[in-house]
Amino acid sequence: MIAKIISEVEKLGRNTVTIRFRWDQEVQPGQFLMVWLPRHSEIPISVSHTGPMKGITIRSYGETSAAMIGLREGDRIFFRGPYGRPFDTKPVRKLIVGGGSGMAGLLPLIDSDARGVVSARTSSDLLFADRFAEGHVTVVTDDGSSGIKGYAIDGLKSLPLDEFDMMYVCGPELMLKSILDYIVDKPIPAQFSLERIMKCGIGVCDSCSIDGKQLCTEGPTFTKEELLGMHEFGTARLTESGKRIQIGRH
Amino acid sequence: MVHIDTAIAGIQLSNPMMLASGILDENGYTMLEILKKGAAAVVTKSIGTSERTGYKPPVVVPIQGGLLNAVGLANPGIDNFRDEMKIALSGNRPVFGSIFGATADEFLQLGLKMEEYGATAVELNLSCPHVAGYGTEVGSDPVLVEDIVNTLKSNLKIPVFAKLSPNVTDIVEIAKAAQKADALVLINTVRAMSIDIHARKAVLTNRYGGLSGQAIKNVGVRYVYEVSKETGKEIIGVGGIENAEDLIEYIMAGASAVQIGTALYTQGKDVFSRIAAGLVEFMESEGFNRISEMIGVAVE
Repeated sequence: MIAKIISEVEKLGRNTVTIRFRWDQEVQPGQFLMVWLPRHSEIPISVSHTGPMKGITIRSYGETSAAMIGLREGDRIFFRGPYGRPFDTKPVRKLIVGGGSGMAGLLPLIDSDARGVVSARTSSDLLFADRFAEGHVTVVTDDGSSGIKGYAIDGLKSLPLDEFDMMYVCGPELMLKSILDYIVDKPIPAQFSLERIMKCGIGVCDSCSIDGKQLCTEGPTFTKEELLGMHEFGTARLTESGKRIQIGRH
Repeated sequence: MVHIDTAIAGIQLSNPMMLASGILDENGYTMLEILKKGAAAVVTKSIGTSERTGYKPPVVVPIQGGLLNAVGLANPGIDNFRDEMKIALSGNRPVFGSIFGATADEFLQLGLKMEEYGATAVELNLSCPHVAGYGTEVGSDPVLVEDIVNTLKSNLKIPVFAKLSPNVTDIVEIAKAAQKADALVLINTVRAMSIDIHARKAVLTNRYGGLSGQAIKNVGVRYVYEVSKETGKEIIGVGGIENAEDLIEYIMAGASAVQIGTALYTQGKDVFSRIAAGLVEFMESEGFNRISEMIGVAVE
C-alpha cells in the first residue's frame, strides 16, 4: 500500500469531505484509488483533485466511508492505484452531468467554459455545483428543494446538445441509462463513468464486470457506443456474493 | 503441421489452456469473454451450497511475483448459479464447475446440480487455503478426500477433477486418496501473508491468504512432476504460468493441460493467444507435432 500524510480535510456539508495529500504521481480524470482504512475495509474512490496535491472526495454511505470521513489532518491515508481507464479529455466544449457523489470524479474536468447539470436527491446532497462559472450550471433535485424538480435528464432537455464536443456523465447506473437512452439518436458523443461493487481493483475478482468487461481495468469510463452494445447495462449486476440481481428502478 | 489440441479425462480441448478457478469466473458473460479470448475451457468460481459474501476487502494484494488473495469463497450459492452456467455454456466450449463443501454429502449435492446445469466436468476444491472448515482443511485428510472423490465418482456421469493443495506434508498421499478422480489439478495457492509496515498490520482482512503467480511456478512444476511420477494420473497443471515456456515446463513435468489465472492480471486477456503462438513456435522449432508427444517427457 501507498501511505501518505493527510494535509487537509475539507468539509463539504454534513456527510461529505475532501481529503487532500501530496502525491507526485500522474493521475488522470476518471481514474480511482482503492483506499484502505485498516480495521475497516478497502473501497474504490474517484480522484477529485488530480494535481500534485491530490484529493479524494468521500461521502458517507457505509461503515467504511463513514469512518473515513472522520480522518483528520496529520493522519495517514493508505491506498493503491491509480486504476482504471481515464476520460478522454481532449474535447474542448464540455458538458458535465453528475448525479449525487458522481460529481466527485467529474470535478477535474470542470474548466471555465464547461457547462454542467448537477443533480441530487435533495439540495443538501448537491456536490460541486458551485465550481462551474456563473450561469454555466443547471441544478436539479428529486424533491425540488433546489433548482428544477426532477432527474438529471430533466436538466438536459433545455440544453442545445449540438453545441458541445463531449458529454461526461457519472452517477447511479439508472441515471446513466436514462441519459444514454435520451442521447442515443442525438449528435453528441458521450463518456460515462460507471460504478458497481468492486473488490480487487485490478481485473481479477469479476465483481464489477459488465458484459465481460471489468469496470476496474477496462472502465470505469465507457463511451456511448460501447454501452449501447451492453445488455447488462442498466439491467443486471452482481452483488457482493456474486448473485445476479436486476438493477432496481429509482 | 503442429497441433496444439489436447485432451483431459476424455474431454477434447482446442489448446491446453483453461481459465483457473477464482479469477474472472463469477459472471457468465465474463467466462464467455475469456473463451472468446482463446481459453479452451473455463473453470467457474468455487460454488457452495449457500450464498456467502466472503471477506471484507482488502481481499487481493498485488505483490512482487504475483498476487495474494483471501476472497473467502464468496459465491451466490449453487441455486443462484444456474444462469451463469447457462450463459457460459453458450460459448460451446467446456465449462468445468468448481465446487466446495465440508462433507462428501455436500459435494455430492453440488456435483449433481452442476451436472444438471450442463457442466462438462466438476472440479472439487479440496484446497482453498483461507476458509475454516473448507478447502485445505478437508483436502488434507486422506480419508475424507477418498470418501468425497469416491462418492462423486459413483454418482456423477460427468468427469470429476480433484484440485489439491500444496499446503500439506505429503501431497502424494492425498493424490493416492483421490486415485479414482478422472484427473488431478495441481496446485492451488500457497498459504502466505503480507504486512503493511506503515499500518503495522496484515493487509488482507483475513490476515492469511493464498499466493499465486510467478512466485509459485516452480513449486507447481515440482508437484506435478512428483505426483505424475508416483501416481501416473492425468494432471492439469496450475500455478504461475505466464508464457509458453512456463506452460511447456508443466507439460513436460506430466500435465496434459494447464490453467491460467494470475497472468490475466499481469499479462491481460490476450495472454491465451500469446501463449498459443509461443507454443506453436516452440513445437515447430523442436520438432513436436502434438502436445501428447511432450507430456511427461522430463519425468524420469
